[in-house]
Amino acid sequence: MRGAWWKGLRLALAMGAMAAGQAATAGFVDDEGCLMCHKYPRMARVTEEGVLRSYYVMPDVFSITVHRNVPCRDCHTYIKELPHRPVEEGVTCNTECHSIKNPATGKPFSHKAIYDAYIGSVHGRKKIEEGLDGDKPYCVTCHTNPVYNPKEEKPPGRILDRCVLCHEDYDFVEQWYRHTSRRIKEVRRSSIEIVELCSGCHADERLIERHVRDAEEKERPLGRKFPVAAKSYQESFHGKLTRYGFTRTANCLDCHANHDNYYKSVHEIRPSRDPESPVSAENRVNTCRRCHTRADENYARLDPHPSSEKEQNVFKHYVEVIYGLIGDVVILGLVGLSFLETLGRRRDGVVWRLKRGSSWWRKSKRNRDRIV
Amino acid sequence: MKLSKEANKVLERSMRQNRVTPEERRDIEDLISIMPDDRVLLYKNVVSNPIGDLYRYSIHIRIQHMLTFTTFLALAFTGLPIHFFDAFWAQPLNEVLGGISVTRVIHRTLAAIMIFSMVYHLATILLGTAVRVARGTFDIQRTIIPLFKDLRDFRDDMLYFIGRRSERPEMDKFMYKQKIHYFAAAFGNMVMVLSGSSFLFPDIWASILPAEYAAHFQELMRISHPHEALLALLVIAFWHWYNVHLAPGRFPMQWTFLTGKITREHQMEEHWLEYLRNLVENAEERQYLRDLLESRELVPLDVEMGTPAPAGEGDAT
Repeated sequence: MRGAWWKGLRLALAMGAMAAGQAATAGFVDDEGCLMCHKYPRMARVTEEGVLRSYYVMPDVFSITVHRNVPCRDCHTYIKELPHRPVEEGVTCNTECHSIKNPATGKPFSHKAIYDAYIGSVHGRKKIEEGLDGDKPYCVTCHTNPVYNPKEEKPPGRILDRCVLCHEDYDFVEQWYRHTSRRIKEVRRSSIEIVELCSGCHADERLIERHVRDAEEKERPLGRKFPVAAKSYQESFHGKLTRYGFTRTANCLDCHANHDNYYKSVHEIRPSRDPESPVSAENRVNTCRRCHTRADENYARLDPHPSSEKEQNVFKHYVEVIYGLIGDVVILGLVGLSFLETLGRRRDGVVWRLKRGSSWWRKSKRNRDRIV
Repeated sequence: MKLSKEANKVLERSMRQNRVTPEERRDIEDLISIMPDDRVLLYKNVVSNPIGDLYRYSIHIRIQHMLTFTTFLALAFTGLPIHFFDAFWAQPLNEVLGGISVTRVIHRTLAAIMIFSMVYHLATILLGTAVRVARGTFDIQRTIIPLFKDLRDFRDDMLYFIGRRSERPEMDKFMYKQKIHYFAAAFGNMVMVLSGSSFLFPDIWASILPAEYAAHFQELMRISHPHEALLALLVIAFWHWYNVHLAPGRFPMQWTFLTGKITREHQMEEHWLEYLRNLVENAEERQYLRDLLESRELVPLDVEMGTPAPAGEGDAT
């Protein structure tokens, strides 16, 4: 999870740089007084694990993020006084916001539904987790506090100027625009980003080794493809096409999440041994058919995570070994034959010659030369 | 020259198939009798036109070779940057072609042309064979079909190359190297078409094959396509181009693929049995050889009185 923190920090710095370059944004009202301390850029510490953690909050950037209206203590519920005590429990994403009402239901806003789906998934873990479960991703591994429209420096004046005629408050109109335009635009990760995200853990060899060893010791089930999930995807046809930049080829979530309820399903990834998984033996054909409309039972047997490792696929392993050997033998044999042929024929007097006539001008070692 | 048993059989069959007149037969037999026993002396002394002297390939075969090698090279040129997409050299190649999506379309289009060339070739050899059978001129030894003799030829040629034999074996129109190369190319083409089609239509292949083989077939094809392509490219670069461009006697280029003709010295050296057929079929070639033998004083002593036979080691076959 260390990598995720660094990513978060990098994003924060990038947002800072972006904020510096843009015009003043809507103001950030610090009713709770958190900025008294958190406005300082060097507000940070190095953890026991040697990770630099920044506690710096950039009000200009925060005010254009999706959580801009959420007061700090709606999430950081454990802060009761200022200055506060060292934080021992982190922010969980299933708390109910006291200040934000869900406009559809009138209830306090919460990510609880998604959180519950996530907790029930193979990735589910507690916020503070020890042991191997600590390797699993928490909400913030994948989700930071994103800027509404990172590619948009400023909301377009021609729209805002029109809205403000009736809605009067320019700040309100700007925030409203940012919120709605983000939802209208495609904010889903690209296939390459999804593969990168999953590979953050599934390509971490030390992490994989820890889990494989633990599964062996405790004799708990572990997916057959778990050790090679990311690597073998890259070797697969899907992986290759994704690297080409194609968007209509399967990424991790296209197969491992259920498309009937995609946005919820990506949070409740299940192992393939779970019959409810889209890649379980029961559901696999239908999952393939989403793209490969003519897929049948046989097709669903094709390996989307091909690996040449002996433990994974003996057949493929030996095919590659034999192909390699054939290649070496054939090329060496033919080059050897060419050498032998040249030597043998040159012994009898053949030469390389550009001009018309004969190629047998050299003196033969067999005592029979061209009659000149 | 006293012909070997094998050469004699070929000559007799050729004369029978060509329905030669008794005069022509006498002419041919006479010519053979005044040839020196050492065949090497013949091809060392002929004058060859690098562009070719003797007919070998029909225009159809030449077009097929042209289609196959142009599509093969272009397929390699487009296939390599698709397969090795991440390599530093692949990106610019793909960009030159208009991006990887375009490269893929070009690759498949070229594949279709290559398949057409295969079908064209099959039709040519099947129809050509049918015509020869109907006319009574079919000779299996003159075809590309591998025979036991090729193994003997291979052994004898190796002995010649290492200096344990005085001359190369009497080989036919297609020698062992050409047979190996032809069937390697035919097999390679089949592999490429099969594996390429399994990339394009994985679902169809899976539904055709029994369930227990469907996955292994796809895995095998995925590995075969790039491996076979690379192997073919290396064989072409290191062997075929050596044989037709770099080998002494063929350097700088064998023109057969354009003119359809082979040089006289090459025909005598590597395709002696076919040269004998040339003598039967081509009166001009007989005249050329007769003139050469006389002008170079290559006629053995016991045939032409007073003409000394040159020093040779004789026919070791």
